[in-house]
Amino acid sequence: MKRKNWSKAGVKYFLFLMILFLSVIPGLAQERPVHYNLEVELLPETASLQAKETIVWTNLSRDYVPDIHLHLYWNAFKNELSTLAKEAGQDKILKRFRIKKDEWGWIKITSLTTADGQDLLPAAVFISPDQPPNPHDQTVLRVVLPQPLAPGQAVNLNIDFQARVPKNGLRTGYFRNGFFISQWFPKPGVYEEGRGWNCHEYHLNSEFYADFADFQVKITVPKDFVVGACGQEMERTEEQTAGKVTYTYAQENIHDFAWTASPRFIKLERWFKGEEEVTLQEYQEMAELVGLTVQDIKLPDVRMILLIEKQHKNQADRHFQALKAAIKYYGLWYGPYPYQTITMVDPPFRTGSGGMEYPTLLTAGTSVILEKEVLSPEQVIIHEFGHNYWYGLVASNEFEEAWLDEGINTYSTSKVSALAYGAGKPSLKAIGLPLSWMIKLPAVYDWQLARIISAPVVKLDPIVNASWKFYNSGSYGLNVYHRAATSLYTLERLLGEKTWARVMRTYHQKYRFQHPRTEDFIRVVNEVSDQDLSWFFQEFFYGAKDFDYAISYVETRLKPEKYQGIFDDLSGRTSGQASETTGPAPGQKKDKFKAKIYETIITLRRYGEIKLAPGYALKLQVEFEDGSTEEREWDGQNRWMRFNFEKPVKIKRAVLDPEGLWLVDTNLSNNSYARKGPATRILSATGSLVWLMQNLLVTFSGWL
Amino acid sequence: MSSGHYLKSGFNQAISKLRLSIYLWLIIIIISLIIIAPISFQIRTNLRHLDLPQKALMPFELNLLEIILANQSLLSSYAVFFMVILLFSGLLSVFLNAGLFGQMLSQGKRPSFQNFLSDGCRHFWQFLLSLIVFIPCLLIFFLLFKLLSAPLNLWSARAVTEWPVIFAGLLRGLVLALLWSAFKLCLDLVRIIMITESKKVIAAYFSALNFFKRHFLRLWGLYLLLGLVVILISVILLLLNKLFSSVQPVGLLMLILLGQAFILFRLLARQAFIGLEFSYYSVKKESSDD
Repeated sequence: MKRKNWSKAGVKYFLFLMILFLSVIPGLAQERPVHYNLEVELLPETASLQAKETIVWTNLSRDYVPDIHLHLYWNAFKNELSTLAKEAGQDKILKRFRIKKDEWGWIKITSLTTADGQDLLPAAVFISPDQPPNPHDQTVLRVVLPQPLAPGQAVNLNIDFQARVPKNGLRTGYFRNGFFISQWFPKPGVYEEGRGWNCHEYHLNSEFYADFADFQVKITVPKDFVVGACGQEMERTEEQTAGKVTYTYAQENIHDFAWTASPRFIKLERWFKGEEEVTLQEYQEMAELVGLTVQDIKLPDVRMILLIEKQHKNQADRHFQALKAAIKYYGLWYGPYPYQTITMVDPPFRTGSGGMEYPTLLTAGTSVILEKEVLSPEQVIIHEFGHNYWYGLVASNEFEEAWLDEGINTYSTSKVSALAYGAGKPSLKAIGLPLSWMIKLPAVYDWQLARIISAPVVKLDPIVNASWKFYNSGSYGLNVYHRAATSLYTLERLLGEKTWARVMRTYHQKYRFQHPRTEDFIRVVNEVSDQDLSWFFQEFFYGAKDFDYAISYVETRLKPEKYQGIFDDLSGRTSGQASETTGPAPGQKKDKFKAKIYETIITLRRYGEIKLAPGYALKLQVEFEDGSTEEREWDGQNRWMRFNFEKPVKIKRAVLDPEGLWLVDTNLSNNSYARKGPATRILSATGSLVWLMQNLLVTFSGWL
Repeated sequence: MSSGHYLKSGFNQAISKLRLSIYLWLIIIIISLIIIAPISFQIRTNLRHLDLPQKALMPFELNLLEIILANQSLLSSYAVFFMVILLFSGLLSVFLNAGLFGQMLSQGKRPSFQNFLSDGCRHFWQFLLSLIVFIPCLLIFFLLFKLLSAPLNLWSARAVTEWPVIFAGLLRGLVLALLWSAFKLCLDLVRIIMITESKKVIAAYFSALNFFKRHFLRLWGLYLLLGLVVILISVILLLLNKLFSSVQPVGLLMLILLGQAFILFRLLARQAFIGLEFSYYSVKKESSDD
């Protein structure tokens, strides 16, 4: 017997209100090329899905389209010859994914017909669009249409499919009765006018790319399961006798749909209230910064849903606080969050699905032992929510230009985290226990760590690169996330807070619900800043070169009072044993001139291959022992430059780029000179190392 | 005799021959300094003139990380150097243990550095051989560990929450430590027998196993009790570390002193373990001989 929680009339009324609401938000009312209607049942005992799908795909291009390319992502987990499995096998450094026997996942289309019943399955073929081609990969299916679709024409595909959930998959998976289901349904790629289908295989290092669509999804699960999904829950129907519940979710204008089910979830809800979370002063300051009115940037209320594992329920407040901070700052900086709900999932244990983004849904992940100073899960929540802006709304191609979402979002996460929480301690553990219980760890900002850890990979790959073409997972991650974020931080410092805030907001607003590319970003930067910064992108984003300016050598010496040698004029008149003094000027009394003169020579070097563009200069600030300072500028074009200073005192310190504009410098430790360096800190570091080694040797000798 | 007597005896022997720990400390700190010297050189070369104002662009620890990453190319050659030194340290450890046991078990004699070295030379080959014979015992050790940790692995693998995984991990660590202490007890006793009874290695192993038939549990219990005391004192010493900041010279000096006190304490604890085992063995041996 079915029990409906919502009456039909109520649902219709709600849908109408929702459509009305959505239609007044810019971007949400525009025509979408895809509409999905999905019905899926989860069979936990076999870890499988039984599903029906209707895709209505409209040709919005001016091309005649002869076929449709569908992603069948779960076939990446089907065998050891899939592109994903092969790439995972080659990656020796980070074992991000290892497929195991009896844990295969797959998706099988059992029926594929058009609305008028034509069977398209016999003519469908698996293709391998990427280089090098992999004939064994079955993650992209080419479906030939009965006749090419004319511009504006739509095709209706009815698909029945079965799927086996991969155990311990990548971003999706199950463990016992906890499921996280993503990339689970046949999904068209993006049709690009004049270029055809953009539909890549499932790669180890790549994420996703899809068209904006409207989704309606019915999910049937055993009744003791708690469900969370993208979009809004519209209806819940219980089949008492079968012990099942069907949830209906709907959401317009998103480009993916994920869901989760587990009996161990606790579902909590709270509201983000724009009026309460943001003060008037904050609104005013932001409005001033981006050149809008307070009314323009007001943030709407958002329903926050948290699905948290019972073991972590005491951390609910930390989750909501982080989400609130993210909704607030992303909303203020880039524009209001346009959807009504955001679902935050503490993913089922061991499903390999933590720290991932989906439109209106994010997965975080936490631990039962959590320290106050460690900003986890906070930073994960902020980051994954941020992807609703950079990937969700500004839907760049994660396969081909992952930096556009990951880099920009890592930069944004770091800023939100710094504002909301300050510096945090790294989350390091040994046998499940926090390492900070044993050793003192410093509190660091994300951007500080990001620039250092990404420095070693700058010469491996450029930031702008197809995800599967990076040297390895490490290079992909560090370049796309951290090197890109560091470069953006540098741009921000070069352009100033105000210009940069306008650049970012303009880019976001201009490309909301669109698929921009790197060139679009560069164009916005140049237009809003009114500068041609193409060189910056050419060097730091398209090139794999390093940028490292340094103070290489500092020498301070007493200037001699006399110089030995022969000093004569043009007529050849000499003064016998000649000398030139640094003594008093003619007429100056000799006894008053007793001050010594020090000559300080500072040699700067360019160790990196990248040099500053014409018109830019590096500042050198020198402080002397009497407190006086001097500044010089270097255009950085040559490999080195030497500056001389003559002062009655010695140098105290010198700093190259004292304002810290060029964070993208791969080694900032060589950018300064202090006559009295950090001797205590060096001794402390060395002492710690010696002590660790002593302990190791004592242990070692005890064993032998 | 009571457990307290053996523990007291162990401590007394360690304290009365404290200078042995100082010899070991001296040798170990020299080797540690040699191992750390190349890293220390890099740190000094790169950072000795670093300007570190109050509001630095990044904390000093990140400067350290930065220069390590910037000098990655040196890491592979350093790794080779490290392995060579470690191998040498392994052999040296056998030598030092031979010296330590020799001096610890020499009744009445006041230890001297010369005697320590000469004992090291005298017993070195025997100690090395006892270690080589111990290697097959390690197979039994790993087998036992695998067997005992199997239910923990199963518990952990089936867990749907994190706690069982953490507990299983900790319990595995505990099983490992307990097993290791039992095996180490055996090796130490073999060496005691080799020195005090001038037995050959295999004969000493048989004597030790024979002795364990009747006395293993009590001796192991004493060993663990002493281990517990050592752990407690270690925790206190490490907690004291938290009182000082390494940024200030005075704090740094205190940290260095505390750190070295901890190393000395660990060496002294090693002496106490040997003293305890020797004292227990001597008493039981005497009573059985009587």
